[in-house]
Amino acid sequence: MEVNMTYATQDIWTWWLAIYLYFGGLGAATLAVTFLTDMYLKPSRDLVIWGAGAGVVLLALGSLMLFGHLLDKVAVLTILNPMAMFNQSTAWIAWGTQFIIWMMVWGVLYALPYVRETEFPKKVPVIKDLIDRPFVIGISKLVNRFHRQVGWLAVVNGVGVAVYTGLLLQSFPAVALWHNPAVPLLFTVSAFSTAMAFLLLLMYTLLHEQADESIRVLYERIDLVLIAGELVVLFSLYMYLKNGSESAVRSLELLWNDYGWMVGFIGFGLIVPFFLELKGVMKGWSTRVPIITASVLVLAGGYMLRHYFMYAGVYAYPW
Amino acid sequence: MPHFAMVIDLNTCVGCNACMAACAMENQSPVWDVQKWRTYVHDKEIGLGSDVNRRFFPRLCNHCDNPPCMSVCPTGATQKKENGIVFVDQDLCMGCRACAMACPYHARVPVTHADMRKGREFYGSDYHRTSPSMDKCSFCDHRVEEGRKPACVETCVGSARMFGDLDDPEDPVAQMVASGAARPLMPHIGTRPNVYYIDDIRWRS
Repeated sequence: MEVNMTYATQDIWTWWLAIYLYFGGLGAATLAVTFLTDMYLKPSRDLVIWGAGAGVVLLALGSLMLFGHLLDKVAVLTILNPMAMFNQSTAWIAWGTQFIIWMMVWGVLYALPYVRETEFPKKVPVIKDLIDRPFVIGISKLVNRFHRQVGWLAVVNGVGVAVYTGLLLQSFPAVALWHNPAVPLLFTVSAFSTAMAFLLLLMYTLLHEQADESIRVLYERIDLVLIAGELVVLFSLYMYLKNGSESAVRSLELLWNDYGWMVGFIGFGLIVPFFLELKGVMKGWSTRVPIITASVLVLAGGYMLRHYFMYAGVYAYPW
Repeated sequence: MPHFAMVIDLNTCVGCNACMAACAMENQSPVWDVQKWRTYVHDKEIGLGSDVNRRFFPRLCNHCDNPPCMSVCPTGATQKKENGIVFVDQDLCMGCRACAMACPYHARVPVTHADMRKGREFYGSDYHRTSPSMDKCSFCDHRVEEGRKPACVETCVGSARMFGDLDDPEDPVAQMVASGAARPLMPHIGTRPNVYYIDDIRWRS
């Protein structure tokens, strides 16, 4: 069939979906990293509470973005049923919804014993009453008994959420920018990189006194590797788009000719923090400002990646 | 079991848009918003200078055998019948729009609460929609079940739209597809569409 083509970007899923993907990846990866740190490196009450809190709050905010744009909000009940995952096994939103729900459930349970030990919740009226109820105390004891099992259930679901954010975009075959194996990898690496940046920011500011130096150094090293990995995946994506279909080439032109993407995301969101953290790892900094700066830049870059990705997907419509 | 398909002959489409009107009335589409019609006819000019031709290009859901809109639907609202027709169960659809993102043919449209309010005013007591959802062409499955043709096919003045059964070797639609005269759009994506087009450009002088 000889056809002419019109190439167009979409205005269906825009900035609000980018926020959903960003908060989803960031919240889930933060929870997973803090729980793994607590289980295998060093028990870290504050980190776990922040990780679980960030996971629940960011995922709730992100999910609200999607929920707010649904045409029929009552029908969402269908996918709250865990069986939706098996009934619609090819639909990543069905899987993602379950990952989000169960990550929150196991995340809250894992953090519960720590919350009960903390002074602050005892000053909040509703929470104070809740955590002192006998059934909550019973659950808390049970969680202590099955500490790692509960932790792993939360971590697995958290990693599931981070991967899901990329798989969701990959499932749209018409857009070359999204429909390729680099996307889930890129979004997963980015999710964990932003989580490291978020935790470093916390540890250099709000948790400065309590933060463990060895964990902080480890997070910096891991973030450095993740940023390097992200740059490698981006380079592969660039090469794939450059020699790809017309949809791919047009997406590449949209992204790589845009200062927001090139300077904002790749420059300030990846390369500058990479060198700031590299110097920190190799020679150290006399002040915490460079690492705080790097963390803020990585966090901003994480959103920019998803924002530009949503707007740069090019459909090819024949006519 | 039949395997329904549509062949569109671009040589005989005159761009009268009767198919759009027939579809809209038959399926109570939001006619007040041209972006929300289930089928539409592109009016494009091809060529340069004095060698310019108009091409009318009818578009609709391609009722793919491997429909990406169904794969990504989290609620199971998008379903495929054994006869090949892809349809939306309005009551199951939550309107996340993933189907619209997945569809390479731009064949998914949102029908909102506001559209339903207007629909009740426009179509009166006959209005049958009960909930908002993503909408699409259903090959007029309610008519097909009664042995009739889709409204757009029945109303087409140039017989540009033809509807038939690919599994029936005597069916002209099956023969046109088998001969290669009618071909699908973007088969490389792997959607295996069931709407085929007979090219007009190659016959132009």
